[in-house]
Amino acid sequence: MSPPLGESVFEVFARKSRGEPLRHVGYVDAPGVELARVYAWKTYDEENWFEMCVVPRGAVIPVNRADGPWARNLPTEGDEG
Amino acid sequence: MTAGDSTPGPLSRHILSLADTKRLLGIRYSDWILGSPSIETGIAASSMAQDEWGHARLLYAMLKKLGYDPFEVEHTRPADRYYSAPALDGPFADWADFTAAVVVVDGALAVALESFAAGNFALARTRVPKMLAEEEYHRRFGSAWFARLAGAGGDAESRLRESAMAMLPSTLAWLLPGDEVYDELVDDGRVWAADRVRERCIDRLAATLRGTGIALADVEPDHGGWDPERRRGPGAPGEEAVERARGDRNRDLFVE
Repeated sequence: MSPPLGESVFEVFARKSRGEPLRHVGYVDAPGVELARVYAWKTYDEENWFEMCVVPRGAVIPVNRADGPWARNLPTEGDEG
Repeated sequence: MTAGDSTPGPLSRHILSLADTKRLLGIRYSDWILGSPSIETGIAASSMAQDEWGHARLLYAMLKKLGYDPFEVEHTRPADRYYSAPALDGPFADWADFTAAVVVVDGALAVALESFAAGNFALARTRVPKMLAEEEYHRRFGSAWFARLAGAGGDAESRLRESAMAMLPSTLAWLLPGDEVYDELVDDGRVWAADRVRERCIDRLAATLRGTGIALADVEPDHGGWDPERRRGPGAPGEEAVERARGDRNRDLFVE
């Protein structure tokens, strides 16, 4: 489903401790980075996170799969000259 | 002892004013958990409502140190014994009201808490900093939504400006009482002097409000009909909100 008009999807990554890898915990729809940060922190607050990050869905480039939520970000032929 | 039994001293009045405002703000936020512009916004409203109620609970608990029974204070007072900011007396009419309240009322509350945490009341010094850390997300939420509505122009911007301007004079008076009771609080080292509070308020809110053309430095507090006991102007929060604040519907379930 597409986000509401004027909003983008941001993927949410978090980890509980400094040594733990970041893991994907979900996503939020937001009109910009600042609200994405607030929405992510307030939506995925089930843990006492050490660190949380948001990434625009459009910035996630799949490496080994051509399906899934990030497939649309695959470079097309000629993108890198 | 309850807050209704006698005129509270300067510190008790200050704590009641902060706690009641947070409790009412939580209720007004909670009205928008469903029906806000997006699911994420509703979740944020829910979380902020819970933050406000959690902070209120911690503030009411401080009154125990001053001889009050926090249970009585929380659950038995009538509406005209509430010390909350007048901007919260009625429900928010629309999302512009919600957004303006996050910036104006929640912002003023945060400034008041900063001032309180910097004073010499030990419970405030230890408990308020965590509240302020949570309040940072309220600030970001408010400034981002304010900028969004202001940037939309047209009716959205003018409605937002109208809403913020309706809240500012009474909220500034709540933040800057300018009365002898507040002076005593300052003399006792509990809070910052009014000039510093005003300066910090401008630091925190002015840039956001400027998005709708509001010059915060030019807005004067409205002390009309000032009630020094309740640290606010005339009126009281709506009965329905106070019934929720007191938990009237759960009264039979209360256990001690």
